[in-house]
Amino acid sequence: MRKYVTDRVLSSFFVLISVLVINFIIINLAPGNPATIMGSETGLISQDYIQYLTQKWGLDRPVYERLAVYLWNVFHGDLGISYRYVEPVSQLILERIPLTLAITVPSIVLGFLVGTLLATLACRKPGGGLDVGLTTLAMGSYSAPIFWVAILLINVFSVRLKLLPPTGIVSPQLIGSNGFDYYLDMAKHAILPIVTLTLGTFPPYYRLTKSVILEQLSEDYVVTLKAIGLPGFRVLYKHVLRNALLPGITLFGIQMGFAFAGAALVENVFAWPGIGRLMLDAIMARDYNLLMGIFLFVTVAVVVANIVVDLVYGYLDPRIRRG
Amino acid sequence: MGFSRGSIRAFATGSFTTLSRSLDGFVDLVRFMGKSDLAGLIGLVIVIAMGLIAATISLWPLPNPNSMDYPMNQPPSLDHLFGTDRYGRDVLSRALWGARVSLSVGVAAAFSAALLGTILGVVAGVYGGRVDAALSRVIEVFLMMPTFFLALLIAAVTRPSIYNLILVVAVTSWPTVARVVRGQVLSLKERQYVEASRALGASDRFIMVKHILPQVVPLTLSYTVLLVSNAMLLEAGLSYLGLGDPNYPSWGRMIYEGQQLIFTAWWVSVFPGAFLTLTVLGWNLLGDSLSRYLNPRRRTL
Repeated sequence: MRKYVTDRVLSSFFVLISVLVINFIIINLAPGNPATIMGSETGLISQDYIQYLTQKWGLDRPVYERLAVYLWNVFHGDLGISYRYVEPVSQLILERIPLTLAITVPSIVLGFLVGTLLATLACRKPGGGLDVGLTTLAMGSYSAPIFWVAILLINVFSVRLKLLPPTGIVSPQLIGSNGFDYYLDMAKHAILPIVTLTLGTFPPYYRLTKSVILEQLSEDYVVTLKAIGLPGFRVLYKHVLRNALLPGITLFGIQMGFAFAGAALVENVFAWPGIGRLMLDAIMARDYNLLMGIFLFVTVAVVVANIVVDLVYGYLDPRIRRG
Repeated sequence: MGFSRGSIRAFATGSFTTLSRSLDGFVDLVRFMGKSDLAGLIGLVIVIAMGLIAATISLWPLPNPNSMDYPMNQPPSLDHLFGTDRYGRDVLSRALWGARVSLSVGVAAAFSAALLGTILGVVAGVYGGRVDAALSRVIEVFLMMPTFFLALLIAAVTRPSIYNLILVVAVTSWPTVARVVRGQVLSLKERQYVEASRALGASDRFIMVKHILPQVVPLTLSYTVLLVSNAMLLEAGLSYLGLGDPNYPSWGRMIYEGQQLIFTAWWVSVFPGAFLTLTVLGWNLLGDSLSRYLNPRRRTL
């Protein structure tokens, strides 16, 4: 087990270093540097000031030196200063991340639950009407661009049915208060973003769980249990489902990346001020430090999620850590 | 090492038989779909129909997708089946033209990614040793990186154009193919006919071209088809965020424009999104069906 753990941690560390270097290279391939971009965009900054910024940020140093400084700083938790907000990047990200987690984490969990549940329902009668309907739903949901789904949901539930608020995190009249009403209102605003993201996260679980269940149904132990006379649904829920849940764990890491990507798009539709919105602002403003910081943050989140998944899976399934 | 004349001839005849075989293969595939895979057949029909629309759209008697000659924000009517947008452009015409950008970026990016992934996967698998260790590391790094954010980052620092879009999407989607191909090559390498060929003095390159590639290419095909749908969604996402090519009507951008009119003109976003979803669905169904067809063990599922 120890070798397995060190292996996983070491290779994840390697991935992180590579991501840092790739990150740095991509940004440095971009035309212009932050100082000239700031100067040309505002048109207000004088040549002297550009020179001052260039020196202050060390942009006149050779690339390898800047890369070394960048890596050194990142390992000390310093992601640099956002050129646009003139605030530390790490602080900006930490301010926004709770809002993104508030919609991504529930949607990953819900996606797992909904996907598994629907797959089990579909497997009660493979090839039946329910199976075909659910598979079509999962496939359609998987194929639809998530920002379009968000717009459709707003159209139906906010514009037509007037059930839920369309955008924002809280109604204007409640800004400033922090009682029960405030949090209830915030929760209402979170429903549509979470539902949208869940429509994106459930199909992979549905597909995986379904194929695992179908595989399990022909295993000896299932045949035996049925032959003994256990009712079909009991075999399905009590014995087969338990084995089918395990492979679903491996999807959590991938789903994490997917949920963050979905959030970046969905936050834009719902005017939800998480890191997805922040990244879009950074792109529009060519705020490279902020862009690199967010990219790094998301990568770390995905890599850590993958390590956790590997370790949990290795713990639960002894075949993995010995193989 | 170099290609000997013999190996080139072997490759040429090999590829010719592959071509005629792949034509037979297509007929067989359609027969398989018609018999036992309705979903795949639907996918194939959607893919072909959208492909035909994209190829022939300039010949259709439709208004110019960019001309702003009509009343603004008109709901669907007989004159404008899908209505008009806020610049007075015909939404039907724009939605159909959108197929061209989406499909060309999707197909070009997916096939470049598949080509790159196949080459790197085969090289890693055939040569093994240090080459394999190094390439596997690279593949692992790219697999773990959040694709969408990498694409955003690259798109943000490059000039928005169709070619950059293709590049961005291809660069971010090759690793899955590389991993699958590498695994496949590693298992093919152990087969006895490859061993026999090596015992007869065949070089690495000959084995790669004659024995490994013909086995691997059909397998990559189903992955490539699934990559097309991923690539189309990625392109739509980038265009939606304003990182696409502003010169062409693209579905992602149309959805963004419709989002601004969400309270007044639902048709501006709904129709382009429906076309995109339908097309992506078609490629997904086709890809799934292909992998069932190519992997008979899974056909029963």
